[in-house]
Amino acid sequence: MEIHGLNRKTVNNIFRKYMMEIILVVMFIVLSIFAPGFLSSDNILGIFRNMAIVGVIAFGMTMVIINGEIDLSVGSAIGISAVATAIISRRLAESGFSDAFALIIAMLAAVAICSLIGMFNGFIRARFGIPTFIITLAMLNVLYGIAATWSAGFPVVINSGWYSFIGAGQFFKTESFQGIPAPMIWLIIVFFIIWIVMNKTRFGREVYAVGGNIEAARLSGINIAKVKIITMMAVQALAAFSGIMLSSQVMAGSSQFGRGYEMDVIASVIIGGTSLFGGVGRAWGTFIGILFLGVINNCMTLLGVDDYIKYIVKGSLILIAVLINTIQLQRKDA
Amino acid sequence: MSTLTIKNISKQFPGTLALDDVSLTLKSGKVNALIGKNGSGKSTLIKIINGVQPPTSGDIFIDEDKISFANPEEAIQKGVSTVYQELSLVGGMTVADNIFLGRYPMNGKFIDWKKTYRETRELLEGMGIEIDAKEQINNLSMWQRQMIEIAKAMSTNPKVILLDEPTSSLSRSETQILFNLIRGLKTKDVIIIYISHRLQELWEIADTCSVLRDGRLVGSADMADLSRKDILSMMFGDMKTEKRPEDVKSTDEVVLKVEGLTSGKRFSDINFELKKGEILGIAGMLGSGRTELLRAIFGSDRYGSGKVFVNGSETKRATPFKMKELGLAMTSEDRKTEGLIQIMSIEGNLCVASLKRMSKGAFIDKAAESRMVAEQVENLEIKAPNLRSEVSSLSGGNQQKVVIGNWLNNKPTIMLFDEPSRGIDVNAKHQIFNIIWELSRQGVSSIVVSSEIEELLEICHRILIMRYGKFVDEVSDAATTVEHLYSMCMGENEDESPRADSADSADSADSADTLAGMR
Repeated sequence: MEIHGLNRKTVNNIFRKYMMEIILVVMFIVLSIFAPGFLSSDNILGIFRNMAIVGVIAFGMTMVIINGEIDLSVGSAIGISAVATAIISRRLAESGFSDAFALIIAMLAAVAICSLIGMFNGFIRARFGIPTFIITLAMLNVLYGIAATWSAGFPVVINSGWYSFIGAGQFFKTESFQGIPAPMIWLIIVFFIIWIVMNKTRFGREVYAVGGNIEAARLSGINIAKVKIITMMAVQALAAFSGIMLSSQVMAGSSQFGRGYEMDVIASVIIGGTSLFGGVGRAWGTFIGILFLGVINNCMTLLGVDDYIKYIVKGSLILIAVLINTIQLQRKDA
Repeated sequence: MSTLTIKNISKQFPGTLALDDVSLTLKSGKVNALIGKNGSGKSTLIKIINGVQPPTSGDIFIDEDKISFANPEEAIQKGVSTVYQELSLVGGMTVADNIFLGRYPMNGKFIDWKKTYRETRELLEGMGIEIDAKEQINNLSMWQRQMIEIAKAMSTNPKVILLDEPTSSLSRSETQILFNLIRGLKTKDVIIIYISHRLQELWEIADTCSVLRDGRLVGSADMADLSRKDILSMMFGDMKTEKRPEDVKSTDEVVLKVEGLTSGKRFSDINFELKKGEILGIAGMLGSGRTELLRAIFGSDRYGSGKVFVNGSETKRATPFKMKELGLAMTSEDRKTEGLIQIMSIEGNLCVASLKRMSKGAFIDKAAESRMVAEQVENLEIKAPNLRSEVSSLSGGNQQKVVIGNWLNNKPTIMLFDEPSRGIDVNAKHQIFNIIWELSRQGVSSIVVSSEIEELLEICHRILIMRYGKFVDEVSDAATTVEHLYSMCMGENEDESPRADSADSADSADSADTLAGMR
């Protein structure tokens, strides 16, 4: 009996630990059987390509949320970045620089602008103690306004052949294989970078410590302000990269890009098991969260679900994920 | 007149008998002091009277009626109110809100504000408190809040009111105002139980005094019949302090120097030197400014004026981050919320302060990390079945060792310990003393803050006594008894005439008091 009990406990623990992975696999199998067109390399790679825009930001957001903060302004940062890339590259090209040089400088500038925004968010948080929820909610509007004003509300066209590779290119393309979408490669690279930062570096530990107990971390001589500011910068820099990918897919930059994406970003992180209370979370979990959201999106599209219904489903998913996390936490305490 | 009768109350906790057959009779119209050092059982007795926990055996009567409460709310309804030392008022609400919170006078479905304010005003006037019923709590000072707290407790017309160290955060003159309020309560038919660690106050405010020691009632008498000596010997009995090993020695090299450190009302003009290898005690009661002083030195709180020198060079705009670089370390008095990251593993908590030491560049050196964790677990004898489990699964003593180990991994030269033995068992206590001694042998200096003064006598080379934010005396272990130290900390001094300075402002009264104490 005892051995049976032990086994059951172990099984329970494994199930709890890998719940999202198991659900994802089950979903995958069910959809492969019942959803026509789901199980094809085209479709699977498409899921990755579609999720990359949200996904790269989600890894930055994982750090931010583990650190006990949030950034609601990433959606607008995508717009700012896309508009900045388009306008700056056009101006540089107009003043006689080569297309390639103009675009590279423009992309770097977009990342720099968003990093500065993140630095500002982090500084206000660290210096004045205002919750990032409020700061970035305000910035969500401010940044959208700036992007829209800068571009006068119109999409700005980008003219450069190779630029589309960033968002729409393929690696390892052969005659029989359509190739791996470039965004998927970027997503995996970003995942590895964040995974290494969070698991192998001093900074990653500091992020967990500050998110776990800010006062204990401060009294342990950790530079709180530095940790907060760098994480807020990182998520904005990644949002800038997303903006670049998106503008490359469309070959234009618009302030409308990224509107509402913060919801999908945060959903992926929360579904991946990162605690909104800070201190707990994994890059791997977010990876699963991104795939989960991607598969849900994809299957709703395949099954012809109405766009409006998608909102209901995704909103509910966030709520359910938070509920499950919270209930598990309470059980543990009891 | 009513009477509270405590009959043969015992309370058994796992491993300890917290209260052992305590019987006591207290009458209304008097201020009944209840005293005893930490661990004497007085907190347990209070919790039994006000319904926080049930006794293992014994009964309590108010007059002829036997009372027992399922919870503190029921106790309040049935006439036992408690004023705790940590204030429980809602800062953003008004005085009237706080007094009637949860039981506003109603007019149908709506709050009857007129009646709320009128009744609050009547209550405050009746007690001689000159505070506006519509004033926000945030705008009130500590002593005013304490008075509102008492008014709130009295608003339910209790038969018994428990005052748990109401003066611990007040200055001398503020204390006098509060005493006038308490004296006013004596005219009402209420049994007042007054808990205090400030011995000298007792002759001013209390009429009777009951002393607990090791869970037993050692005496109960009228204050008029008691001398200071009587009370001290009742509190401490025959106490022996253990000795520090001979080879734990201080040197002449000054590693930390504090000059004229002042921080508002919390502490002022603090001067001392700490030598290499020295173990310096700071003795003081709750509210004496000891914790605030330690936090200021470590840079976790700002201070107003004064200088701190580490190894001869002045530290400016100190932060814990900078002080750590200079070789300082501090263990907080509140390990649960300030010392540990509860959701992190034991392993993780041992590495928070020393991340830099166990990294190569930006990356954590896993080998160094596990070596350092293993070293602390072995040296500090941390008992943990699994180092990966959450730190909250450990006992208090082992948690404290993790807090210390976290810092030792950073190889500090000066350790600041704030209440290192709070809430841990005797065995763990001695292990922690041994750690402090061993550090001294290695040349690490320590400052130990504690309200358990007999411990300081055991651990420290030298003890500074802190009262009302000032150092009032310095003693070396050899020449001192526990009673003497306690009486210094509690500010008890026969020459003192407490009423003389009550008209002065708080600060000048304090300094006059200090001078008298020094003489």
